[in-house]
Amino acid sequence: MSGLIKSEPFTLNIGPQHPSTHGVFRIKVKVDGERIVDAEMVMGYLHRAMEKLAEERTYTQNIPFTDRTDYLASMSNNLGYVLAVEKLAGINVPERGNAIRVIMAELQRIASHCMAVGAFTNDTGAWQTPVMWCFRERERVLDLFEMTSGARLTCNYMRIGGVAFDLPKEFEPATRRLLADLPGFIDEIEGLLVGNEIFLARTRGVGALSAETATNFSLSGPMLRGSGIAWDIRKADPYCGYEKYDFQIPIGYQGDAFDRFIVRLEEMRQSVKIVQQALDALPGGPHSTQVPLALRPPAGEAYARVEGPRGELGYYVVSDEGPSPYRFHIRPPSFINLSALKEMTVGGTVADAIVVLGSIDIVVGEIDR
Amino acid sequence: MTRQWTGPEVAAIAERLVPGSVDRSTPVACYLRPEKLVEAMGALQAAGETDFVHLTNLCGVDFWDHFEVVYHVQSFVQNAIACIKADVLDRERPALPSVCPVWRGAWMQECETYDLFGIRFEGHPNLHRILLWDGYPGWPLRKDFLSMPGGLQPGLDEFSGTKRRLPPPVKVVE
Repeated sequence: MSGLIKSEPFTLNIGPQHPSTHGVFRIKVKVDGERIVDAEMVMGYLHRAMEKLAEERTYTQNIPFTDRTDYLASMSNNLGYVLAVEKLAGINVPERGNAIRVIMAELQRIASHCMAVGAFTNDTGAWQTPVMWCFRERERVLDLFEMTSGARLTCNYMRIGGVAFDLPKEFEPATRRLLADLPGFIDEIEGLLVGNEIFLARTRGVGALSAETATNFSLSGPMLRGSGIAWDIRKADPYCGYEKYDFQIPIGYQGDAFDRFIVRLEEMRQSVKIVQQALDALPGGPHSTQVPLALRPPAGEAYARVEGPRGELGYYVVSDEGPSPYRFHIRPPSFINLSALKEMTVGGTVADAIVVLGSIDIVVGEIDR
Repeated sequence: MTRQWTGPEVAAIAERLVPGSVDRSTPVACYLRPEKLVEAMGALQAAGETDFVHLTNLCGVDFWDHFEVVYHVQSFVQNAIACIKADVLDRERPALPSVCPVWRGAWMQECETYDLFGIRFEGHPNLHRILLWDGYPGWPLRKDFLSMPGGLQPGLDEFSGTKRRLPPPVKVVE
């Protein structure tokens, strides 16, 4: 065909200051007309050398750092780190402590997925209404965190050997009220978006990854499950007594942005179920064991992981019997989920790149650490 | 529960698949020889008995006289995870073959390890400093890199008997 319009590659910066990058993150895309031919990520604007700083602080002092990596899921981050240290030092957690941890981790997943779903719909053009609905419910979860730990975002609630405080009296009724409302809210969001022609046109088939590609790119969490692999650490490698709770792993079939969205929605429903079960069977007893303040785990290494809202959140801790970790490494799920960004965006349009980025659900604090 | 492969178990299979690839093994980890690393990793990924399709975690550790690069690999079907390591002995020009041909997702974690430890991954498609800027002086996660400003360990003084872990060969960064 002779009617092709000649065009030459053009470099376009998305970010670092761009609403769709959800933080300070930049993609240098090379476009030919409307199509992306190359995408290069530029990150590190938020690098705070946490892994280095952690080597000079005691094990307990490092817990607040983990809040500040993934600031949308501080409870999950706390949990992953304390599990690694407990594995290293051989510390057992009382049953009540474990149940409280599960409740907090699942509430955190709901709060984080609210943010993910809301911001994602914003990126697809469903401007403001869904995100405000999501924030309304997220606020209620954050109120519960404030009630329990005193902080809304950076909770610093988990401790080595348990949790910092027992649940306050008013926690259970407030949580039950929230749990009663959440399924209706999820149905509402689903009804608003899933049947929406524009939303489907923007997300269906965008950024699709096959199961093999997703595995080969080390993806995890909703990204991996959206591609059809039923891999969830809570089922595969249960921690904190997850084997006692009845829940299912939602998976997608096409691995596109829509499937990731729907997996997140369904995960919120499953989280509601888990919190309900945990509240119903909340054991009594102490919420924490006594652990020396200057903990010195025996020399060795431990890799512990949890299923964070964004995927497999791992902590690799090496001890040399000192009071602080010899090496402290975070396996940040959204950093590694980004490794397939080029695969997903090249060949698509710039508008699709925004949708793909939204579907990964990045948190830049975690990417840069 | 995920099964944890012990070092000797992985070593036995790796040695059978790629003779001469295993350096040694500890209860936790299997150490592969750098020159056979990619071949052995590829064989472990393809073999049905190990089926290490997913590279979960990749990071470096500095032990003053040598570096270790740690790979956590897992199988979804078998629900098993293994820890594989490789030694990097040359501190002046540390290098290791890149495992990107085996797991394409390794590229970002290798970039990060290069950025913070200075370990070059040979055969990497696009090795660059991913978090810090080009021309940053030094490799921050090495133990001989300047520690906290002033070399202090804030918060540690109040615990009796805590000392600095190693004599600090502090490098002053101009």
